[in-house]
Amino acid sequence: MDSTMLPEVTAVGVIIKAVLILAVIAAIAGFGTYIERKILAFMQRRLGPQHVGPYGLLQLAADGIKLFTKEDIIPQHANKIIFAVAPVITAATAFIALAAVPVFPGFTIPLVDVYVPSIASDINVGILFVLGMMAAGLYGPLLAGMAQANKWGILGSARTAIQFLSYEVVTGLSILAPIMMVGSLSFVDFNDYQADGTWLVVYQPVAFVLFLIAGFAETNRTPFDLLEHEAEVISGYVTEYSGMRWGLFFIGEYANMITIGVIASVVFLGGYNDFWIFPGWLMIIGKIAFSFFFMLWVRAAWPHVRPDQLMWLCWKVLMPLAVINVVITGLVMMII
Amino acid sequence: MSEVQTVENMVSITIDGKEYKAKEGEYILNAARANDIFIPAICYLTRCSPTLACRICLVEANGKQVYSCNTKVKEGMEVTVNTPNILAERRAMMEVYDVNHPLQCGVCDQSGECELQNYTLELQVDSQSYSIPDTKRETSDWSSVLHYDAGLCIVCERCTTVCKDMIGDAAIKTTKRGGASLDKAWKDEMPKDAYAMWNKLQKSVIAPSNGTGSTDCSDCGECIAVCPVGALVSRDFVYTSNAWDLRKIPAVSAHSSDGFQIYYEVKPISIDNRDEKIYRVTNEWNYVSLDGSARFGYDYENRGVTKDKKAFDLAIEAFKKAKTIRFNSMITNEEAMMLQTLKEKMGIKLYNPEVRAFQKFLTLYADASGHSLYTSSMEDSMKSDFIVSVGGALRNDSPGLKYAFNNVQKMNKGAGLYFHPVGDTLIPSFGKSVSTFTHKVGLEEATLYLVLALFSDQDKLDSSVKDYITELGGKEGLIDLVGGDSKKFIKGFDKMMKKKERFTLMVGEDYYYHDRADNLAKLIALIEQTAGFNVVMNPPKSNALGVAIICDLDDNAEGYTVGYNEIGDFRLSALGDGDLDIPAFNQQEGTVTNLSKRVVPTNVALDYGGYELNDLMKELIDDAPEETIDWTKRLPTDRGYRAVEFDSLDNYYDNAGNEHRGYLLNVLFEERDTPKVEKFYDDTLLDGDIVYRCNPPRQFNDFSAKAHQIFEPFGLYVSSSKAESLGKKVEVVFDNGTIVVDVIEDKKMEGDIMALSDFKSAENVYGLFDGSRYASVTIKEV
Amino acid sequence: MSLEQFKNRNVGTQNYVKLDLAHTPTTGWGQFKQVVGRTFKPELFVGLWVTFREMGNALVGGKMHTTQYPFEKLPISPRYRAIHDMLRLMESGNYRCIGCGLCEKICISNCISMETKYDENQRKEVSEYTINFGRCIFCGYCAEVCPELAIVHGPRYETASEQRASFSLFEDMLTPIDKLNLQQEYDGFGAISPNADENIKPTPLAY
Repeated sequence: MDSTMLPEVTAVGVIIKAVLILAVIAAIAGFGTYIERKILAFMQRRLGPQHVGPYGLLQLAADGIKLFTKEDIIPQHANKIIFAVAPVITAATAFIALAAVPVFPGFTIPLVDVYVPSIASDINVGILFVLGMMAAGLYGPLLAGMAQANKWGILGSARTAIQFLSYEVVTGLSILAPIMMVGSLSFVDFNDYQADGTWLVVYQPVAFVLFLIAGFAETNRTPFDLLEHEAEVISGYVTEYSGMRWGLFFIGEYANMITIGVIASVVFLGGYNDFWIFPGWLMIIGKIAFSFFFMLWVRAAWPHVRPDQLMWLCWKVLMPLAVINVVITGLVMMII
Repeated sequence: MSEVQTVENMVSITIDGKEYKAKEGEYILNAARANDIFIPAICYLTRCSPTLACRICLVEANGKQVYSCNTKVKEGMEVTVNTPNILAERRAMMEVYDVNHPLQCGVCDQSGECELQNYTLELQVDSQSYSIPDTKRETSDWSSVLHYDAGLCIVCERCTTVCKDMIGDAAIKTTKRGGASLDKAWKDEMPKDAYAMWNKLQKSVIAPSNGTGSTDCSDCGECIAVCPVGALVSRDFVYTSNAWDLRKIPAVSAHSSDGFQIYYEVKPISIDNRDEKIYRVTNEWNYVSLDGSARFGYDYENRGVTKDKKAFDLAIEAFKKAKTIRFNSMITNEEAMMLQTLKEKMGIKLYNPEVRAFQKFLTLYADASGHSLYTSSMEDSMKSDFIVSVGGALRNDSPGLKYAFNNVQKMNKGAGLYFHPVGDTLIPSFGKSVSTFTHKVGLEEATLYLVLALFSDQDKLDSSVKDYITELGGKEGLIDLVGGDSKKFIKGFDKMMKKKERFTLMVGEDYYYHDRADNLAKLIALIEQTAGFNVVMNPPKSNALGVAIICDLDDNAEGYTVGYNEIGDFRLSALGDGDLDIPAFNQQEGTVTNLSKRVVPTNVALDYGGYELNDLMKELIDDAPEETIDWTKRLPTDRGYRAVEFDSLDNYYDNAGNEHRGYLLNVLFEERDTPKVEKFYDDTLLDGDIVYRCNPPRQFNDFSAKAHQIFEPFGLYVSSSKAESLGKKVEVVFDNGTIVVDVIEDKKMEGDIMALSDFKSAENVYGLFDGSRYASVTIKEV
Repeated sequence: MSLEQFKNRNVGTQNYVKLDLAHTPTTGWGQFKQVVGRTFKPELFVGLWVTFREMGNALVGGKMHTTQYPFEKLPISPRYRAIHDMLRLMESGNYRCIGCGLCEKICISNCISMETKYDENQRKEVSEYTINFGRCIFCGYCAEVCPELAIVHGPRYETASEQRASFSLFEDMLTPIDKLNLQQEYDGFGAISPNADENIKPTPLAY
């Protein structure tokens, strides 16, 4: 795709895009809960939500109504301001990260002739920004856990902190190799790099696997869902949360899952390039959808690990592997 | 406790290889029971004669098969309870009892406490070998309380035995059933005793002995108590509850002065109303026999009372301005002690017309005899063999003494003399050696002179007394004077006196109200000294003895009066109609001093939510204790009580039949000179229409009247002949008032004296009689 | 299983299958080998395959496991012990309960109460009977002890209602007289065993 041919990006277009992302991703995040329940049910040969709307589709609305109408409880000894702000941080960082991620292909709204770009803000350090924002998302759980005056909360947030910080390293190192190859931090460049049809995963399988594993950890998905492991820390950092505050954490988590899916698709799986007879937008949606499905599939199939195993895996296995991968990539690039 | 068992009259016997001590002359069965050895027995009743109906108590004694209920122990006797032959006999007997016995344990009222069930299991009857066509046996109601299901009856004859040997009414008997006769082939096939038992059983059934469908008795219900199966049940209780659902609460019978041990059996009223009610009263029938008031007069509780602070405050005020407290004998020792405390601390007079005369008489007797209290008891009189009853309508006044009088005739080959102005047809039926004297009112002293003449060691008597007796015509003259036939009597008297060792004099209520009570008391003391009599007195009602000992009563009431279950300006009442509610007797715990001078504990059968006397005491005096029963240890030790905690008092009978209930009052003995008795005057004789203050059997007070199974109405009870001359309703005119009452026929009364009930305190019958038990009245037709 | 085997209470020598558990690695190298082994063995992917296969079975193969409870119900065993039923006599329609009170006595949670009276036919009549279902633990002793097989456990296991009392009165538990023909004989807890006749000795009759 030739970037010079793109129409001018106007402020209106960006705002529309931002609203679009917010609305669509929030909706998808909510809808994700329905999908998750449904997929897990099917994999366990159950039916899943069934009674609210056709095939239980309106379960999402019912849950939304429930979350909004539930009593908002702030514990007596909690730090009320931080307690209230923490979920917002989680949700906000999740959505802000999406600002630098190409979500859909760009299009022009007919009649008013406003171009809506595929990416809200095509900054040239997009990957860095996204990873940075996701890392900043750590503050949500951390503050939530510390503010709520609950031992499970604080334990949960401590776990969050170590898990996020540790796997941040693996994410960064694993994605470094592709960056070295592409030579840019912009998602658009990544996309264009793979325009010839050869996905980066072919060159960087190890980096892809490492990134996926780290992605699971950063989104708090099975097998790394230790932050709110009921048997050990009740609900972790969300122990004292209820209603829509709790819902914001949830939306943030699902938004992050989508973000990871987008990054994986764009960086490793060919981005939104056309493929055979399939147009690019369909491809990217398909890829994101698959990576989302994969997360659920894993949850249905695998048990989770212990906290010590998690750390052990990160520092003794994944991190060295990532470093070796970077070194080898560098060597190969130097030789070729 | 009551009897010191000396080593001399004990023999040693061997039961199943172990040596035991037994009282000489005791039946093997009782000796075994006293030593906690189990011998199966159905028909035997401890204090009655053996009937040999069940034959199941077979044992082997010195190698011979005997019935343990009628074989007396001998020194060195060797008893074997079970031999193969005896076990076969017993099993056969139980199988026979189970032949055609309706399989309705599921609905039977006795299920769970049924001796047929128990022994069928005990003897492991798991199959039946015998059969005979059944006879249709009808269910019938014998009286207002008795319900007989002939189909369930095993004709053990316990009911007839207790009615005859203990109660004295002999109102039921065995009659022919008209069933199929036994196949002779059985005689050879089955054990001998079992066959004999079956042969008798198959022919018999129980029926009222007067030949009609209904019994003519005092409705004591003792037959119900002794029935081992569900054949005899109170009409009120039929199919209302299973035995195991009822909670037993040991208590004391409330109405008569006998103070029998009873069990109130309680459970919730209904599914909707979980408050409890009393369903029935049961007793240890081997050792205690109840009268009708004790068995059926139980539901007089003061129900649904809550703490009414306003009424309570008014009561406090009333007590503060009261000059007199009027009460009756339906009161525990503890409450009597509280009232006495009020008298001591606040100077309130205590007025109790029921007890005052008795109290005075006790004092007179104590002065004359030197004994602080009469010496005998109900149990002791039951062990005597010659009983003289004076001054009381035995059938009405004291069921316990009536049972003793009757039991002595039946069990101890005893004899009895009964002196009373009111003729009674039942007493002579107690035994052949019973003589009744219907004397004129006012000749009470003459009767005692006759007793002196008949029984006293003439050497011990003062010459003046002897002279006076001679002056009166000696024995013969006195016999004729008190309404006897001297020739006939003297002839039989020697026979009556044969082998008699223990003499008891029963003194009734008439004497307490007698004008010359002091002379009577002296005569009684003299009889005791010179004729070797033991004396037992019948306290008028309930706890009259306790009240008489504990309270210093006054002769009259004056000023502002607080009535305690009695009339008064301010009324405390357990009947639910007073100014302040108080708990009824079955809602109280405390002690009662009974006729046998025993201080016996009674317990709370039903909850009570209101104030009790002790709550008032806490307001009125400084050192009132927390609970009513804390007064138990404050009872006056100088008057014979002991300073013991209520909770330390026992309340049971052991297997030997010894009574372990509370404690006996301490009786002090002092040596006294022979009392100087006085002559009597026959100008005190009453003439014209005479009314006697006396209740029908089973009625004693407002509470017995409230009970729903006691039907005897308030009225003027007269003999059949007298009833004819009176209308249905009469006006009885006393010197100081009149009363209009129904005339009720009492078939067991004789003569012209009429008995006016006094159990309704509102009628103030005590006031009409004005300190006497007999009154000359004018009868007007209404 | 033969009787000898059955009677052998010595559990250690019986045919128990022990789990084939591998040794836990103790050295760092061992642990590393284990991780590598597990990573490259398709172990993890087997798990993924199994879940995916089952999803296919459920969606396409018609092996969905869910019973949609209020609309579909599973058949329950006749021996199931749910809310009590009071049965009637088939012939006369009279209720079987004779008011013996054994259920009341045996009830270990003490939840049965009854009132009985002497009726005009000289019989014991049950005038009121309740079970407190707040306390009942459905142990089945009442059905076991009932000599008439009058109180039995019915199939009504859905015990949610606004008032639990609405199950508990005699009339509520009694078979409706118009549905007498639908009354099932109960062969659950307390019913007469099929060979009961063989186990008793007959009583001789004189007729």
